[in-house]
Amino acid sequence: MKSVVTTVVTAADAAGRFPSSSDLQSVQGSIQRAAARMEAAEKLAGNIDAVAKEAYDACIAANPYLNDAGQANSTDTFKSKCHRDIKHYMRLIQYCLVVGGTGPLDEWGIAGSREVYRALNLPTPPYVAALSFARNRGCTPRDLSPQALTEYNALLDYAINSLS
Amino acid sequence: MLDAFSRAVVSADASTQCVTDLDALKEFVAQGNRRLDAVNAIASNASCMVSDAIAGMICENQGLIQAGGNCYPNRRMAACLRDGEIVLRYVSYALLAGDASVLDDRCLNGLKETYAALGVPATSTARAVQIMKAQAAAHIKDQPSEALAGARLRKMGSPETADRCASIVAEASSYFDRVISALS
Repeated sequence: MKSVVTTVVTAADAAGRFPSSSDLQSVQGSIQRAAARMEAAEKLAGNIDAVAKEAYDACIAANPYLNDAGQANSTDTFKSKCHRDIKHYMRLIQYCLVVGGTGPLDEWGIAGSREVYRALNLPTPPYVAALSFARNRGCTPRDLSPQALTEYNALLDYAINSLS
Repeated sequence: MLDAFSRAVVSADASTQCVTDLDALKEFVAQGNRRLDAVNAIASNASCMVSDAIAGMICENQGLIQAGGNCYPNRRMAACLRDGEIVLRYVSYALLAGDASVLDDRCLNGLKETYAALGVPATSTARAVQIMKAQAAAHIKDQPSEALAGARLRKMGSPETADRCASIVAEASSYFDRVISALS
């Protein structure tokens, strides 16, 4: 799982040396920003159902054709699966906030997603619409402190970029 | 390889839940500088720690450096010193990451079998690791023994905390214990 610490340790191990002071500085940089990430992760964990529901509703409102017969949001089963997918992305973003890197999104969300969506004939623009809504929904200081919101939005942007 | 944060994520993912027990991770963040100082204390004293641990092991068992012993001749003594440094290096990685996975995967996996095949005595190896464990605790606490170190006494001089980083010392000791139990 890629994070600042594992990257540093991998590099030190490849060179066969003890953690150097520059390695420790890198980890220190990550730890300094960790408090904001923990704040965002805690808030997101507590409200993930509401956040995912809002994003899902917004993406269906922006793409009403999805409700037509044969489309991806046409039946109750499809609707619950669409909602689950959005929640899945939000959960991976929460993991990324905890880890302090994009490892969870890369390994469990993005790798292979193109193939899966193509095989299931799912359109990606609605996912982008849902994540973009979440991206623009956060407000400081109502929801999160400025730094925490920045970390959260950066990860949403990363997920959006991977889909577009 | 995992660190304390990705360990929490991997176990949360097993039940498709968000990471909810963030208190331990917040504690990890709050004590981050202690951890970095501890890793620095080990890294900065590494060669001294390794040579003293191997020397101590040999002092207690002189047979190792007599003909037929496992630290005789110099070639095998050098291999012994190198292995001591490798173990200490992986312990320092584990302490930096806050998780034993790097130590388990990259150092201890198959080490016992390798040593058995090479005829390396497990009790002597465990003794050397035990000495390094005591040294690591002394250096992290920044309380090296003045009686034993004598003129070679070396202090890090990093800011002292009231409990002398007791939780980090315990964590580092647990990684050394992990090495000992993996070898025996």
